[in-house]
Amino acid sequence: MSVGALDSVTTEAPTAARATWSAFRRNPLGMISLVVLALIVLVAIFAPLVVSEPQGYGGAVLRAPSGSHIFGTDNLGRDIFAEVVWGTRISVLVAAASSALAIVIGVLVAVLGAYFPKADTVIGTIVDLCLSLPVLPLMILVTALAGTSLLTEILIIAFFSWPEVARVVRSQALSAVRLPYMDAARLTGGSSTWIIRKHLLPAVAPVVIVSVALTSSRAVLTAASLAFLGLGGVTNWSWGRILFESEQSGAMSSAWWTTLFPSLAMLVLVVSATLISITYNDARNPRSRED
Amino acid sequence: MPPVVRFAVRRLGRAVLTLWFASTVTFLLLRLLPGNPALAVESPNMTVQARNILLHQYGLDQPLLTQYGKYLWQLLHGNLGVSFTQQVPVSSVLLARLPWTLLLTGSSLLLTIAVGIPLGVLAATRPHRVLDRLVQVFGVGVQSLFVPTVGIFLLFVFGLQLHWLPIGGAYTPGVYGGAWYVSVLSHLVLPCVSLMLVQLGSYALTLRATLIESLGEDYTVLANAKGLPRSKVVWKHALRNALLPTTTLVGLNLGYLVGGAVLTETVFAYPGVGRGIYEAVTQLDYPVLQGAFVLLAATVVLVNMLTDLAYGVLDPRVRTA
Repeated sequence: MSVGALDSVTTEAPTAARATWSAFRRNPLGMISLVVLALIVLVAIFAPLVVSEPQGYGGAVLRAPSGSHIFGTDNLGRDIFAEVVWGTRISVLVAAASSALAIVIGVLVAVLGAYFPKADTVIGTIVDLCLSLPVLPLMILVTALAGTSLLTEILIIAFFSWPEVARVVRSQALSAVRLPYMDAARLTGGSSTWIIRKHLLPAVAPVVIVSVALTSSRAVLTAASLAFLGLGGVTNWSWGRILFESEQSGAMSSAWWTTLFPSLAMLVLVVSATLISITYNDARNPRSRED
Repeated sequence: MPPVVRFAVRRLGRAVLTLWFASTVTFLLLRLLPGNPALAVESPNMTVQARNILLHQYGLDQPLLTQYGKYLWQLLHGNLGVSFTQQVPVSSVLLARLPWTLLLTGSSLLLTIAVGIPLGVLAATRPHRVLDRLVQVFGVGVQSLFVPTVGIFLLFVFGLQLHWLPIGGAYTPGVYGGAWYVSVLSHLVLPCVSLMLVQLGSYALTLRATLIESLGEDYTVLANAKGLPRSKVVWKHALRNALLPTTTLVGLNLGYLVGGAVLTETVFAYPGVGRGIYEAVTQLDYPVLQGAFVLLAATVVLVNMLTDLAYGVLDPRVRTA
């Protein structure tokens, strides 16, 4: 910090990021999770290259996992491995799109609230109110009314997820706004947009990264919950839909493989996202970092 | 006004505000969404006249503000509309189901606390050792589980393979007296344990973190220095102070608990409000869906307020917060 205070903003950011990254890299659990998550995303993108779309009402109905069907087949003789792989596409797409939207809304609301105290009372109250309500029953009602297309599903999950993002980001933004460098930025005569963009947003960025991981993994589970209740649509495969069909057809009581593999896919995705956010949090904190 | 009363009044005000917010959001969503209730009640082969009569019957031909006023007025009187499919008041459909949901969520919450607290204490008193790591791994693991998955697997193993417990419903029909209570209990075990498992992680991990913190506080050092037995230091001194963040977790998690109950009741065909939601979804019975949300929201708000009030009485710090 011996150089000019103005320079420190530009020079410190990359080194802090580098220190975090090198601490992150040293944690095997975090790295494994990152690789697993990358693999899931690759499977989602290249699903057609991995296995052809699940179809064909074959005669091999409800077969246990074997060499020809490594995850077994469902009640209509479709290959569950293909269903899980193709389900990855929709599950990852819904998670990514809805969490991206929720993050944008949540961060915007939180940052504006923290920066403009007059708006904050209203925003804080609305966020608190939203968080104290049982969201799933409301989402069910809205989805039942609005229909089950992919786009409405993404919009609905995003619309009900942003308050959680706003809550976390807002508390961080509120403490950042009180720091002296924010006053300094105001004194230099910078516009509000400039201060928010250049000073407030970087201050909340670490919290935002953590909420990306948490919001997207929660979105996977929410989408699966809606699909499990029969609100997932039948045009696309998703992990929730595999479970829903297994439940509907009664296959779940005899054929464990129809529920185990989609469930495992969800578990692996959510656990790796959680571990990444934990590792990132530890790596970012110089006190818990072992360097 | 004494602070306790002021705290109670403020808390009551917030509960009323939350309920108003919940019902208004529901009203607006129902009216503004593309598939609005007018479209839901009409069918394409209706005559214009029949459609208008129907819309008038549901009050959907009036201005939005009038509809809103009527809607709130009806809600205040506990009128949630009439079920499309069963032609009976939604409130009577749902109120018959509510006790089962309360039994399931309440017992699972108690079980979670009864298991989660010892688990958190176990981990916090041995920080960064093997047992602590195991609790952490377990906590993250169960937190990441998909609620129906847990139910399906418990059902599969203990119901269908081992035949230890019933696989669905809430009681054995045709059984009376003491045997009925036993059947209710045996039907409750699996759904209750599934709901406990998915909540356990957050309770154990939160308690672990706060307890590690309060074990490092001065009063714990003093208690140790006085020569108190370790168990007394942990359970009486440190744990008491670490419990407050955990109890706020109850309030924060109520919404998640209700969502979990909807899914668990669906898996186990448990006759609560959640299973009612699932059945209403398959029949597109919007009044039931709307009523279920309002009823569950009201329950959550009420329980939340009661726990807050209890803690305001027990802990003076809460009143000023």
